[in-house]
Amino acid sequence: MGEGAQTRTVDRSQGGDAGGRRAWGLGSRGLFRRVVIGVPFLWLAGLFLVPFLIVVKISLSQTAVAMPPYLPTFGDPSTWWSALTQFSLDNYVWISSDDLYFNAYTLSLAIAAASTVLTLLIAYPLAYGMAKAPPAWRTTLVMLVILPFWTSFLIRVYAWIAILKPEGLLNQLLISIGLISEPLVILNTPTAIFIGIVYSYLPFMTLPIYASLERMDHSLTEAAADLGSPPLKSFWTITFPLSLPGVIAGCFLVFIPAAGEFVIPDLLGGSRTLMIGKTVWLEFFTNRDWPVASAVAVVLVAILVVPIVIFQRQQARIG
Amino acid sequence: MKSLGSIRRNFAPWIDPAASPFLRFEGVTKRFGDFEAVDDLSLSIFESEFFALLGASGCGKSTLLRMLAGFDMPTSGRIILDGEDMSGIPPYRRPVNMMFQSYALFPHMSVAKNIAFGLKQEKMGKGEIADRVEQVLKLVKLEDYAKRKPDQLSGGQRQRVALARSLAKRPKVLLLDEPLGALDKKLREETQFELADLQYELHTTFIMVTHDQEEAMTLADRIAVMDKGRILQVAPPAEIYEAPNSRFVADFVGNVNVFDGTVRAATGDRVTIETTGGFDIVAERDVPVEAGQNVSYVLRPEKLKIAAEPISGPNVMEGEVWDIAYFGPVTSFHIRLDTGAIVKVAMVNATRQSPLQLTWHDRAFVTFDEDAGLVLTQ
Repeated sequence: MGEGAQTRTVDRSQGGDAGGRRAWGLGSRGLFRRVVIGVPFLWLAGLFLVPFLIVVKISLSQTAVAMPPYLPTFGDPSTWWSALTQFSLDNYVWISSDDLYFNAYTLSLAIAAASTVLTLLIAYPLAYGMAKAPPAWRTTLVMLVILPFWTSFLIRVYAWIAILKPEGLLNQLLISIGLISEPLVILNTPTAIFIGIVYSYLPFMTLPIYASLERMDHSLTEAAADLGSPPLKSFWTITFPLSLPGVIAGCFLVFIPAAGEFVIPDLLGGSRTLMIGKTVWLEFFTNRDWPVASAVAVVLVAILVVPIVIFQRQQARIG
Repeated sequence: MKSLGSIRRNFAPWIDPAASPFLRFEGVTKRFGDFEAVDDLSLSIFESEFFALLGASGCGKSTLLRMLAGFDMPTSGRIILDGEDMSGIPPYRRPVNMMFQSYALFPHMSVAKNIAFGLKQEKMGKGEIADRVEQVLKLVKLEDYAKRKPDQLSGGQRQRVALARSLAKRPKVLLLDEPLGALDKKLREETQFELADLQYELHTTFIMVTHDQEEAMTLADRIAVMDKGRILQVAPPAEIYEAPNSRFVADFVGNVNVFDGTVRAATGDRVTIETTGGFDIVAERDVPVEAGQNVSYVLRPEKLKIAAEPISGPNVMEGEVWDIAYFGPVTSFHIRLDTGAIVKVAMVNATRQSPLQLTWHDRAFVTFDEDAGLVLTQ
C-alpha cells in the first residue's frame, strides 16, 4: 500500500511531460516488481515442482523393459486417455507390503533422530563458546565453522574412510599410544554413519544456535544472577529457553537431510545398514525399477513434509 | 554559610556523628586493563537513604553500582554492607537487587513469572510467592497485567515491572541504573514522583545511577557528583546546587556563569575580585581567601537581575541583548558584555505581561547581590 502510494507521488512529480511516458513508467514499475517476485517462483516451479510431479507420475506407472523403463508414456496425443487409465497405486501397495521398505524408513528416521541429538550435544557447547567469545574473535570463529564447505563434501567423506578403516589413522593412533591392541571395527558400521553425519551437519546446527545466543541480551543472565539464581540454573531457566528457536531450526536442518542421506551411509555404513536413500538407489540402478524407486522417494518426501510444516508453523509463531 | 539540608525533614543521618553507615565503600579501586574506572573511592550511605550517583558517561558510576551488585569485583578496597564484607560473594548471594537500565525482563515469561523468579530462588512456598507477586504488582499499579508478556507492555509498564521485580525480594539495597532513562519526558516526570513516594513508603535504601541532574535533584536525599572515577562532592541536592565545592560541580549541575579573576582585597566579610573581564565583583567572603589569589566567581543565571535602565551600585554589568529564549516559566537572556563575554540571566515570568521591554540588540544592565554567587578556589 505504502509503496504504491509512493510510486504515484513520484510519478506525479515527474508528470510534467508526456502523459504517455507517465503511464509507461507506472507499467514498467509494475512489470519490474512482477519479474522480481516471479523469478524465484519460476525457479522453484521449474526446478523443484515439475521434477517432483514427474517423479509422482513415474511412481504411478508400471515397470517395463523399454526406454524409459516404465509405462505408460505420453507420446501420441490420441493415446493419452488410455495412458491415464494405466496409472495405479500398485507400487505404493508393494512398498507397504514388503518389510524391507518399512525397516529402511524406520532405520533412516532413527539414525537421523539419533544423529540430530548427537549433533545438538556437540553443537550447543560449541555455539555457546563462540557466542561468549570476545566480539573480535567471533567472525573468525564463524569462518572456521564454515571453512569445511570450501572442500568437496565427497572428499571429506572419503577422508573419513581413511581415518576410520581398520588400518586407518584412528586405529594407528590408538594402537601406538597403547590404548588398544586390536584395531577397532568402525568403518561399515552404524557408528561410522553417526560420525559422518555429525561431522557433516555440525555447521547447520551450530550456526542457528550461535545466532540465537549471540543476539541475546547479556543483561538477562545478569538479572537472573541478581535475583539469586546460580549460573547453571540461569542457563536452564533463561539462556536455553531463549535459544530454542535456534535449536529447533538447527534440528530440522540436520534431521531432514540426514533422513534422506545417501552418500554417508553408502561410503561409511557398508552394505548391511540399509537406509532409505540407499534403497532408492538400489531400486533405481540395480533393479532398474524406476516406478518403485519413485514411490519410495515420494513417501519419503511425505514423511519429511510433516516436520517441515511443524517447523514453519513454529517459525511463523516466532515472527 | 546557611544550612542547606535534605528535602526530607529530620532525615540527615550523615550529619549525625552517632549514626553508623549502612553501606561503606572503603578505598575501592577498579581497573579494566590500563583504564581506572573507579579510583580509590570511599563513600558511606545510610539506611533508607535515597542516594544518587551523578556523572557523565564513563565517570565510573555504573562500575560502582556493578561492584555493589557483584557483577564486577573491585581491584582493591572493600565494600561493606550492613556489617558484612561483600568481597568474594557472588551476585546471586547478595542481599541487593538491581533494576537494569534495559529492564532485562525475561521475554519468555509473563509479568507474574518475571516477578516470581527471584522469590522461587529462595525456596519460598507457592502461596507466599503468589501473595508477594500480587502485593508488588499493586505497589506499581499493574495488577491487571500479571499474565502479559513483556513485549505486550508499553515502555512505562515495562519499567514498572522491572521495578516490581527488583523490589519483590525486599532487598537491603535497591540499585537503580538510569531508572527513568528510557522513558519520554512527560512519563519521566510522573514516574519520578512515584519512585520517590515508593521509596518513602518502603524505607528501603535506594542507590541510583544517573547522568540526568534533574532526576538526581528531584529524587535523592544526597547526590555524589562523580568525574574520572572519583567523587567530587557528596551533599543534599540544594547544597550541590547552591554551594558547589568546585567549578566542575557548579558547571555540571545546572547552568552557571563563571567569572575568573584575582582577589584584590579581602577584608572582614567582603572580598573584591578583579575579573579578567575588567570589572570588579564585590562578594561575601564565605571561604578563606587572600589578596592576590586566583579564584572563580560562580553565579547561577536566576540570581541575576536584568533591567533596561542604568542601575547604580556595585556588581553592575552592561551589555547588549544577544539572545532571548522563552521557556514559559522563565525567560533566558544572553547578554554580551563589551569584552565579548556572555552572561546568562534567567528571569522568572511572574506576571503574564512582562514589564521588561527588552529585545535583541538593546542595551541591558545586569546586577546581583553580594551573596548571590560563590567564590571558588578550585
